[in-house]
Amino acid sequence: MFEFLNQPEVIKVIVTIGSMLLFFVGLFGLLTRKHIIKIFISIAIMESSIFLLFIGLTFNMDFIAPILDSTHVNVSNMNDPVPHAMILTAIVIGMAVLALGLSFAIEYFKLTGKTNIDEMNEMRH
Amino acid sequence: MSLKRELPTSTLSGFALSGLLVLTILNILLQNMPNKIQTAGEALLKLNTQEGVANAVTTVVVYFRGFDTLGEIAVLFIASLGIGLILHTNSRCDIKAESNFMLQTASKILFPIIMLFGVYVMIYGHLSPGGGFQGGVIIASGVLLLLISYKTFEVPHAVIVALETFAGVSYVLIGLIGLVVLDTFLGNFLPHDISQMGMLLSGGIIPLIYIIVGIKVGSEMSMIVQNLIQRSNDV
Repeated sequence: MFEFLNQPEVIKVIVTIGSMLLFFVGLFGLLTRKHIIKIFISIAIMESSIFLLFIGLTFNMDFIAPILDSTHVNVSNMNDPVPHAMILTAIVIGMAVLALGLSFAIEYFKLTGKTNIDEMNEMRH
Repeated sequence: MSLKRELPTSTLSGFALSGLLVLTILNILLQNMPNKIQTAGEALLKLNTQEGVANAVTTVVVYFRGFDTLGEIAVLFIASLGIGLILHTNSRCDIKAESNFMLQTASKILFPIIMLFGVYVMIYGHLSPGGGFQGGVIIASGVLLLLISYKTFEVPHAVIVALETFAGVSYVLIGLIGLVVLDTFLGNFLPHDISQMGMLLSGGIIPLIYIIVGIKVGSEMSMIVQNLIQRSNDV
């Protein structure tokens, strides 16, 4: 019944629309929430949607993982390794930035006791 | 909700719709590209067989993009440094909930297995999925298990400093030796014969660099986890 979902065109459209929906879930959270840690979680959701888009667009179901051995020396039916490497970099950078932002939020809460971004107006005066 | 006041629903939905349309058009354009086009990945896959490393993703991360990985390690180091500067305290907060007996017993059993698995993922990074980043994060998760199980446990700071210094210096040193021997930074100067592909000792400097990356990521992530869990008593 669902065999038509295995076509690469259908998979790519599903990946695109799904990752865009996930991106807008994150964007909605970023715009509506007021708690600063929830805002950081929204940014992490947006990041993961980009990872899914990158990997999903270059993924081909008929191809195998890019790991060579004595039986898989034909490289023409292997998935592209470059997006994997790029996303590995992006995940590490995203984790580092998220941890640094969280540490800023923790220290700010320790100093002022505030988590609501509407009340963070010390620099305004 | 105050979003409705500042951003009307029509603006937001128009924004969402235009983003979706742009991505769909991009997707259609990408799908209609001729199939016989040579992507960078295919060229790198062909080059990959010369290095004698089974996992092509490892070759791309550590060898073809080795200089970028050095920069990535530097970014991770700077983030760890910033977190340490902001959050470092000498006294640990008394966490209200006492860790129970089951958690303490289970962590005694699980911690060596997690460490062993992390080291396995790290060392076999050039043969199977995994590598230094993944193995380092697994090791840091083992340290996190110890931190939440024992209130008195602390990551030994001197050991972390020594490991991090060793890893950073040896990464740059291996790159400089490649520069001297082969005239390229991070040149593969160790034997990397294709007949050895799939063995543990293969690929020249690539497994060495991934193990170094694993040591550095593991120690930095452990310090980040400890700094985030450690709070001063005067809150």
